[in-house]
Amino acid sequence: MLVNHHPDSERLTAFSAGSMPLSQALCVSAHLEMCPDCRADLDSLNKLGSHVFNQMKPSRVSNDLKQSVFKQLNDTQTHDPVSNSPARNETGRVASGVPKCLFQFIDDDYDSLDWHWVSPSIRQANLCVDGNGAHVALLRIKPGGKASHHTHMGEEITMVLKGAFSDESGIFQQGDFVVRGSNDKHRPIATKDSECICLTVLDAPIQFTGYFSRWLNPLLRRAHP
Amino acid sequence: MRRNCKTGELFCRNSDFNNDIIPNDHGKMLNNILELRIQGRPMADGPTPADKQKGLQLHLKKCIERVAKKRDKAAFESLFEHFAPLLRAYSFAREPGASLMADELAQVVLIKIWEKAHTYNSNKASVNTWVYTLARNSRIDLLRRNGRYTTEIDPEYLWQDLEDESADPFVSMQHKRTEKTISDAFEHLPPDQQQVIAKVYLEGKTHQESADELGLPLGTIKSRIRLALQKLQLVVRR
Ligand SMILES: [Zn+2]
Repeated sequence: MLVNHHPDSERLTAFSAGSMPLSQALCVSAHLEMCPDCRADLDSLNKLGSHVFNQMKPSRVSNDLKQSVFKQLNDTQTHDPVSNSPARNETGRVASGVPKCLFQFIDDDYDSLDWHWVSPSIRQANLCVDGNGAHVALLRIKPGGKASHHTHMGEEITMVLKGAFSDESGIFQQGDFVVRGSNDKHRPIATKDSECICLTVLDAPIQFTGYFSRWLNPLLRRAHP
Repeated sequence: MRRNCKTGELFCRNSDFNNDIIPNDHGKMLNNILELRIQGRPMADGPTPADKQKGLQLHLKKCIERVAKKRDKAAFESLFEHFAPLLRAYSFAREPGASLMADELAQVVLIKIWEKAHTYNSNKASVNTWVYTLARNSRIDLLRRNGRYTTEIDPEYLWQDLEDESADPFVSMQHKRTEKTISDAFEHLPPDQQQVIAKVYLEGKTHQESADELGLPLGTIKSRIRLALQKLQLVVRR
């Protein structure tokens, strides 16, 4: 897999520090699963975290804490459960390339999700809303399908999970991590050879410049089911 | 109200560090290791901080191995003495004053160290880095459980199994070199860069929160991080 677009180093630093909204971390995590280069960078950044962790002024520990920890130690070697999640259909998810971080939302493969009609060539599955109000969704664009023009109020992160799409600024393929700021106006088009599935996180609702006013707008979707 | 921690309050000098967190027989064991090292080559001024750090790392690694293979509680006690105070400090950095949470975090992570010791791979990271990642993941989980932030996203699988499980000796050498570069260069970073790194890593602040608290534009926070990473020779690829 050739990944061309990566999260920038500040974003990767925030991930390594565990100090970013979980919706964004979800996108970074999906990217990391597909990008060995960024995994190597993450390893290095974790060492920075470890360094500052180790430089902290230690905080005195009570005897109670020590006793409480030692009481819980079992003598036998505990074997790591191979998977903590109920392995309902591990093979379906693995075979269709669903990143592990999305297993919590996807029981089987992508088809098992509740896809809403957005336009003749676009379907959307809402995954969740993060504490900061960001919307997390999957978008599914048919081969050659076009989205409508739109601009954002906030930042939009797109992680290509399957297939590829292009817009005014280039081609984005499986594994690519794309950030669009609030001033970007763009119109993604899926490549002709395959459908395109993307994970998207939207900080604030989209403003539409085209006529598909319900495209990728979970708030509106909720208001008009 | 959250107290604004300054870099100086969170960090301590190497000398305090060694006095403070190597109490009782943990210290004796460490000194034995250092003495062995010193016998090998004559040293004018005794062990340097770097040598002490190296000896400490070696000691922690041996403890982890004894816990993994022999369920050795004395070795675990050494790990407890070293990490419990740091884990509490790490929790306080994020949630000042929350001492129940500090104890809970220390407890959760130490039990994980006991139970997952056999999964530690010394080729890819030092014991410190391994424990840091456990602490980071557990703190996120604990904050979520305690309702400190609301989200429908389960963080458990976001930070797991992302590290390369390579046993390649070249990779292992590179890991050690990265660790050395960081520990040599970090204290020479300008204080404002150290401060931002501490905000992000220890206090768990997002870039935006760091910007708000320091009264700086978001772009300044990002550029300080970028400059620090350059000086530490991290993420040179981009
Ligand atoms: Zn990457």
